[in-house]
Amino acid sequence: MSENNEKKVHGLVAEYTSVDTLLDACRRVRDAGYKKTDAFAPFPVHGIDKALGIKPTILPWIVLACGLAGTTTGLAMQIWMNSIDYKYIISGKPYLSLPAFIPVAYELTILFASFGAFFGMWALNGLPRFSNPIFTDPRFDRATDDRFFLYIDAKDDKYDEGSIRSLFGETTTDYIQTVVDDDSSPKVPKGIFVAWAAVASFSVIPLLIVLKMRVTNSPMPRFHVFFDMDFSPAKDAQQTSTLFADGRAMRRDVPGTVARGEIFTDMDFMTGIDMDLLTEMNAAKAEQLVSTFNNPHFLQDDEEINVEKPEELEIDEPAPPTSESVMDTTPWLKKNPMPIDAKLLKQGKAQFEIYCAVCHGLNGGGNGLVNRRAQKILAATWIPPSKLNQPGLMQDVYPDGKMFSTISNGIRKMPGYSAQIKTKDRWAIVAYVRALQRSQNANIDQVPDEKREEILIEQEEVKQKLKEQAEAEAKAAEEAAQKN
Amino acid sequence: MSLAIPNGLDNSREKPGERAPLVLGDTDYHDITETVCQVAERKPSKGWVIGFLVSFALLQWFGLCILYLLYTGVGVWGNRSPVFWGWPIVNFVFWVGIGHAGTLISAILFLFRQEWRTSINRAAEAMTIFAVACAGTFPGIHVGRAWLAFWLAPYPSLNLWMWPQFRSPLLWDVFAVSTYGTVSLLFWYMGMVPDLATFRDRSKNKWRRMAYGILSLGWTGSSRHWMRYEKAYALLAAFAAPLVLSVHTIVSFDFAVSQVPGWHTTIFPPYFVAGAIFSGFAMVLTLMIPCRKILGLEKLITIRHMDNMCKIILATGSMVGLAYGTEFFIAWYGQVQAEKFAFLNRAFGPYAWAYWTMITCNVISPQLFWFKKIRTTPWMIFIITIFVNIGMWFERFVITVTSLSRDYIPSAWAYFSPTWVDWSMLIGSFGLFMTLFLLFCRLMPVINMAETKSTLAKQIHLKEHGYGHH
Repeated sequence: MSENNEKKVHGLVAEYTSVDTLLDACRRVRDAGYKKTDAFAPFPVHGIDKALGIKPTILPWIVLACGLAGTTTGLAMQIWMNSIDYKYIISGKPYLSLPAFIPVAYELTILFASFGAFFGMWALNGLPRFSNPIFTDPRFDRATDDRFFLYIDAKDDKYDEGSIRSLFGETTTDYIQTVVDDDSSPKVPKGIFVAWAAVASFSVIPLLIVLKMRVTNSPMPRFHVFFDMDFSPAKDAQQTSTLFADGRAMRRDVPGTVARGEIFTDMDFMTGIDMDLLTEMNAAKAEQLVSTFNNPHFLQDDEEINVEKPEELEIDEPAPPTSESVMDTTPWLKKNPMPIDAKLLKQGKAQFEIYCAVCHGLNGGGNGLVNRRAQKILAATWIPPSKLNQPGLMQDVYPDGKMFSTISNGIRKMPGYSAQIKTKDRWAIVAYVRALQRSQNANIDQVPDEKREEILIEQEEVKQKLKEQAEAEAKAAEEAAQKN
Repeated sequence: MSLAIPNGLDNSREKPGERAPLVLGDTDYHDITETVCQVAERKPSKGWVIGFLVSFALLQWFGLCILYLLYTGVGVWGNRSPVFWGWPIVNFVFWVGIGHAGTLISAILFLFRQEWRTSINRAAEAMTIFAVACAGTFPGIHVGRAWLAFWLAPYPSLNLWMWPQFRSPLLWDVFAVSTYGTVSLLFWYMGMVPDLATFRDRSKNKWRRMAYGILSLGWTGSSRHWMRYEKAYALLAAFAAPLVLSVHTIVSFDFAVSQVPGWHTTIFPPYFVAGAIFSGFAMVLTLMIPCRKILGLEKLITIRHMDNMCKIILATGSMVGLAYGTEFFIAWYGQVQAEKFAFLNRAFGPYAWAYWTMITCNVISPQLFWFKKIRTTPWMIFIITIFVNIGMWFERFVITVTSLSRDYIPSAWAYFSPTWVDWSMLIGSFGLFMTLFLLFCRLMPVINMAETKSTLAKQIHLKEHGYGHH
């Protein structure tokens, strides 16, 4: 007792062993006029509120407010999201269809009200509170087991240790003790603090990385944790695939179907060959050609397909010289069967720039991007694409039909484009190539009078620009040389 | 202190004019504390260690299967056209159903002042939390791109620029199940705080005392605290009870709001709720019967408790049987060709084996509980509850798979077959459940000590002051 006297006294506590003795003591303390009292029990004791004079709690009102807030939040959220901000049409219902919003509003009502009951109760009870003077009492551990305690706080107006001791003495108790300050260190053990600080600081790192990635630019491709559908593994036409029984990556048309816009009855138009003449010359050949076109799969269904071939195909030399003679003897269509007009040329230009210009160049000069790259890396097997304005490709020696056939079926390293470019577009390209050929070998006299002036001015401008560009480059080179 | 039931002490017999004791033997408050705390304080038994290791291994296997699924895609399941809701949804509904008894036992029995709930409610609530954890896993990984499951939440997205669709039962389900999980967790934890304080005050070890000290939030047992605590507990119970009903109603909407024959029926909400309570009580008994034996809790979880639960199983099992019959009647009475076919196909089609398994386990086996002898013999109860668990899994299988595998277009019909991943995940989810439950048995108070003591206080009061006086 002597050491307790030096510490601050918080109150006085008495121990009881049964509910009845506790309730009896509570009534006596209440009747004696003490207000700042409390009883501690291992379970809720029936009737103690009355015995101790405890007022009812306002908790239900807090819970009611939280529940109403939940209903309001639920309804407002759904109405705003689905009826105002982003209107969904579902089964032809009105945008604001209240019955469908009830389940979520109901769940949120319960959720919010439960939060209100749970957190409201702890807040009203002043918990969590880990350091409490009452815990200093050596016998108080049994308050959660099988003992009951009655406590009078020193802040009570009528608090007087002597009179309370005698009041407690009248009740059935054999343990009366003062409650004093907790003298154990209030500091959190250092180990816990260090561990907490370490975890807290390490947990910030991933967040910082994400933040940095979001706010800065990077030339590297985006980092993908999950690929989602960002990369779809595409196959080239000649590659193999394990997905289909026939092993082809390229799927054939369904038998008996024709692609949209590709139904033609005119064999001349489809082949670029004058079929009447061919029939006269070589009836068997013409018949074979017609049957090939009528069965565009080229292979019969029961024919075996060898899948394991791509390696051999790579070392494929340019067509053998015999095919040259076939190319010469075939009765090609002399003239483009499409009516030539500005629209067709525009269409041809668009297609040419998509499919042809990468090799043949935008002006048909044979120096497209692919060629330039191949020259740069000195690719050994590279055969430079033809210059389209060379004399051998002019209409008189290289008829339109032949050019159409070359685009469709390919020549030397160039693959056939019949699969990619529609028939009409291939004829449009032929027409555009003829226009390019004329433009590349033209002089100013061939231009109509009214356009001549315009072109001359443009020519001057371009020359001027080129000159300036050359000067600037020379200057930059000079400066660079000086620096070194 | 002996833990065996004294001979001849049987509280399952009704004595007119007298309340049957819920705490047996010559027990006082301290005995209750000892009985419950010894479960967590003594060294783990061999049975517990083996059980834990097996469950934990299954849990690891479950985790690996989930990783495999995330890495490969949902094609690892048997879900194929036309059955896109295969076992993952069957397992989800199965676990959510089990999860309902915990809160129901706690909340509804609390509201009806059924004091026999006190010794089983804690474990039942824990079972709820763990079953909901198992249930939540399945739709989470079933969404295809599980890492984007947060798209279900209504947040202002910078990627989507749109809001969730609140007229879909699937979204209601997200809100219902997550609310249910949260409220059940609060309810369970709040109920445990006074008992955690008991654990704290009995701890000899400094770290143990600190850990339970933090978990018990500085609980002192003050009467002012108890008064607010009881109010909050009653309020939570009052919210949780309708919540149980609403959650399984909404789960049934996942099916009932669709147009699929066999799903599109108004009977689903009550039928699902009855089934959920049925399966949940069965699971509580399946867990409690071995637990009371192994953990030495026979004085607190008495034969009377089991007798009462068996009666509830009998009642809800009969309701479920009535619902099966009603479905058939309405299919005939409604005269919709597709519906008639769907139900005949269930009973006599390619899944007849599953349907009759379900009927045997769910409708016939609980009828044995009419016999008092069976209701009061633990090993018999245990066997029947295992049957009920199996039957209720099959109920969800029958509903989900038979309807989907044969709907309107016969050319699209197909027979569902599960893959090894389906099997692994069903068994693995039991690993998750049992791991959590066994940890709970070791670390947390398995029985609500405070409430059991207050039941005992009433028992003492009645003994000392007689009946009729209060």
